[in-house]
Amino acid sequence: MIAFLARRLVHGALVLLVVSLLAFALSAFVGDPVASILGLNATPEDRVVLRERLNLDDPWASRYLSFVGKAVQGEFGMSYSAQRPVIDLVLERVPATLELAGVALAFSLLIGLPIGVYAAVFRHNWSSGAVMMLSVIGVSLPSFVVGILLIFLFSVRLGWLPSFGRGEVVDIGWWTTGLLTVSGLTSLIMPAAALAVGQVALIARLVRAEMLEVLRTDYIRFARARGLKPRVINLSHALRNTLIPVITVSGIQLGFLVAFAIVVEAVFQWPGLGLLFLQALGSTDVPVISAFLLLAACFFLVINTIVDLLYLVADPRLRVRGGLSSEGAL
Amino acid sequence: MLKKMLLTASVALALTASPMQAAELRYAGTTPALTMDPHATNDFVTTAIFRQVYDSVVGLTLDMELAPALATEWEYLGDNTWRFKLREGVAFHDGTPMTAEDVVFSIMREKDSRFYTALFGGISEAKAVDDLTVDVISTAPDPILPRKMTRMFVMSKAWAEANDSLEIPDLGAEGAEAHSVRNANGTGPMKLISHDPSVETVFERNESYWDEWPGNVDKATYLPIGSAPTRVAALLSGEVDLIVDLPLQDIERVSSTAGFKMEQAPQFLLMQLEMDGTRDVALDTWNKDGTPIESNPFKDVRVRLAIAHAVDAELIVDRVMRGNGRIVGIASVPGFGGYQADLDERWPTDVERAKELLAEAGYGDGFTTQLNCPLERYVNTDDICRAAASMLAQIGIEVRVNGMVWPEFARMLVNGPTSSFHLIGNGSNSFDSQDTFTSTMMTRDADKKEGFFNWALYSNEIVDKVARELPVTFDQEERTKLYREGLAAARDTVSAVYLHQPMITWGMKDGITAPIRSDATLTLQNVVVPE
Repeated sequence: MIAFLARRLVHGALVLLVVSLLAFALSAFVGDPVASILGLNATPEDRVVLRERLNLDDPWASRYLSFVGKAVQGEFGMSYSAQRPVIDLVLERVPATLELAGVALAFSLLIGLPIGVYAAVFRHNWSSGAVMMLSVIGVSLPSFVVGILLIFLFSVRLGWLPSFGRGEVVDIGWWTTGLLTVSGLTSLIMPAAALAVGQVALIARLVRAEMLEVLRTDYIRFARARGLKPRVINLSHALRNTLIPVITVSGIQLGFLVAFAIVVEAVFQWPGLGLLFLQALGSTDVPVISAFLLLAACFFLVINTIVDLLYLVADPRLRVRGGLSSEGAL
Repeated sequence: MLKKMLLTASVALALTASPMQAAELRYAGTTPALTMDPHATNDFVTTAIFRQVYDSVVGLTLDMELAPALATEWEYLGDNTWRFKLREGVAFHDGTPMTAEDVVFSIMREKDSRFYTALFGGISEAKAVDDLTVDVISTAPDPILPRKMTRMFVMSKAWAEANDSLEIPDLGAEGAEAHSVRNANGTGPMKLISHDPSVETVFERNESYWDEWPGNVDKATYLPIGSAPTRVAALLSGEVDLIVDLPLQDIERVSSTAGFKMEQAPQFLLMQLEMDGTRDVALDTWNKDGTPIESNPFKDVRVRLAIAHAVDAELIVDRVMRGNGRIVGIASVPGFGGYQADLDERWPTDVERAKELLAEAGYGDGFTTQLNCPLERYVNTDDICRAAASMLAQIGIEVRVNGMVWPEFARMLVNGPTSSFHLIGNGSNSFDSQDTFTSTMMTRDADKKEGFFNWALYSNEIVDKVARELPVTFDQEERTKLYREGLAAARDTVSAVYLHQPMITWGMKDGITAPIRSDATLTLQNVVVPE
C-alpha cells in the first residue's frame, strides 16, 4: 500500500515536472511577455526596461527555478490583462467550474443509470434499441451545438431560462455558490445539461454493457430460479454489482467534465476556469495560461490517484500484489 | 406567430426575472472591462466603460467635437504651455470637490503610464496656478494638446492617497491587486457600484453630475458575453436591453425581429493595405517564374497606384462586410481633427488603367507576393485579404495570403518590421490626423520615435514636411493648409491602399434611444429607456 502510494507520488512529480517545463517554456519563449504586455505602442527603450525588470535576460535554468519556486507557493505573477494576481483570479473561478461539473455529473448519472438499466433489462425491446440509437447521437453532438440549441429553445423561444451567466450567487467563506438561489439554479440547468449530454450517453452505454454481463452470471439465474421478483433481481442484485466500474469511470469523467467545461463555459458565459483560460488565450495573458496548465495537471493527478486508491479498496487482489501498474496515470 | 411568442416570452421574462426598475439599462459587449483604473489601459472597450465614471479634462460631443468638460476653456500661452481653466463646483463621487490639485495629480499619473506615452509623453510638467487653473508644460510645442486631453482622465488625489493607489498598478511586479483596479472615484455621469470583470460592472446615476442629463437612466449594468450567438440570444430573450457588438451575420436577424432595432456609426478605424516604400528588394516577393525578385515593385508609385485601382473597396464593403462599412479615400476619417471632406474621394476602380500602370512600371507580367493578414482583432480580415488577392490576380499580381494570429502579427511588426505587404487597421491616439502623419506616415526612424507605426516604411518628402510642421503650427488656417497638402500627397503617392471604416453596430430593443459615438462609447447620460 505504501509502496503503491510512493510510486504514484513519483509518477505525479514527473508529470508535474514536464507540465511545469511546458508552462514555463510557454511564458518564456512562445508568449514573448514583453510584446504581450507592451503591445504595439512600445518604444525600444520601454522594452529593454521591461526585459530587465522581468529578468528575461537571465539564463533560462535560473528563471525556470524561480518560476517553479514561486508556483509552489501559489504565486503565478500578475495577469497582464486583469492586472490582478493570477492566483486570485483562478481561485475566484474554481467554484463556478466545480459546481457546473458536479451538477453535470449528477445529471449524467441520474439520467444515464436508468436508461442503461432499462436498455439492459429490455434488451430485445425495440424501444431500448431506439434509446441506444439516441445515445449515439448524444455522444456525437458537440456540446457547443447542444448549448446553442438549448439557448435558442429555452431562452429565445420559450423565455424560461437565462441564456448566460451564473445568476445570483451566495458567498460561503471564499466559496461562491449558485445552488442556493432561484436565479442561480435556473442559470445552472442549461450549461449542466449541455455538458452532461455526452456523459449521459456514455454512462448509459456503460451501465447497459455491465448489466448485460452481470445478468448472464449464475447467481442471477439462481435468483430467478428462486422466484425472486425481476425488480428485486435487476435493481438490488444486478445493478449493485455494476456500480463499481460506473463509479470509477464517473470519477475520471469528472476530470473530463472540468476540461470540456471550457467550451460550455464559453457558450454560456459561465464565469469559470475555462472562460478565464479562453480569455487569457485571446489576449496572450501568459501567466494565466501557465497557471491554468499547472492546475489542470494537478487536478487530473489528484483525481487519478483517488480513483486508483478506490480500485485498491474495491479489489483486494490488487492489495495482495502490493501495487498497481500505472494504467490510468496521466 | 414566432415573433409574437418571442415578444410575450421577453415580456414575461422581463417581468419575472428582473424586477424592472423605472430606468435601468442592461447592456452587453464581447469583452469585459479589464480595469477601472483609467490610466492603466488604453483598451477601447475598457475606456468606453470607465468613461462613465471618470471625466476627461476636455470633453467630446456625440460627433466627436471638442467640448468643455472639467476644463471650460483653454488657451495657448506660448512657451510650450497650455492653460486650462477648470469648471467650478464639480465634485467627486465621494462628495469632495475637484480642484486643480486633482487635475495636476491625474496628469502626472497618466503621463507616466506606458499606455499613454504616445499621447502624453511630451508633457514635462503640470502646475496648479490657483484652485481652478492648471498650466500644462510640454517639452515641445503641442497644438493638439486640447484634443489629446479628451483622453486625460481625472481621479481624486485624496482618494488615491488614502487607498494606496498613487502609482499606476505595475504589471511585471509581484504583489497584490491595486485598489484602483476594481474601485473608482471620479466625477463622471455614473458612480461605480461594483466591478467584477468576469460577471458584471454596475453603475448608478451620479445625481450631482455637473452636465445636463438628456437621458433617464438611473442604473446601468454592463455584462461581458463573449460568445456571439449567446449575446444575440440574450438580447432577443430580453435579458439585456442593448448589445454593443452585434455580429455582422446577425444584423439582419435582429433588425427583422419585431421589437428590436439596430444602429450604426463608422468606427474610428481605417482598414488599409500597406506596401513597402523603402526596401530595395521586397520581402517575400518573387517573379512570376518563381525566382526571387531583385527589386521592390511597391516602391514604384505606378505599382502602388495600380494596386489602388485594382482593389475594389466598394465590392469588399458590399460583399465581405455585408454593407457595413464606409469607403475611405484619404488617410483621415470624419471626426478626426484635420479631416478634409472634399479631398475624400477614393481612387476609381479601373482594372485596365491598373494594368497600364503596371506595364509602365515594367511589371507588365506581374509578380508574386505575400500579403500578411492578421486573423483577429478586426472584422472579417481573412475574407478581406482573400478578396483583395483575387482582385489583384486580375492584373497579374499573384498574392499568397499569409494569415497570422494577432500576437504573431504584432511580433512581426514590433520586432521588425519585416513585412512588405500587409493589411492593418489604422486608428489615431488623439483622434487628430496629425497623429497619422507623425506616427504612421512619416519616414520611419524608431530611435527618434518618428513614424513609429509606419510598419511598411512608406516615405514621401511632402508628407515628412507636413509631419514636421504640424506639431509646431498653431495657426488654424496654416494647419488646414498643411493637412490638405499632406493628405493629398499621401493619396497621390498611395501611402496605403485605403479601404473602409468598419461600422460599429449596436442591437437594442425598440424604444431605446442610445446615440453611438465613433469611439464606440455608450454615453449613459444620453440613453433613454422606456419607463
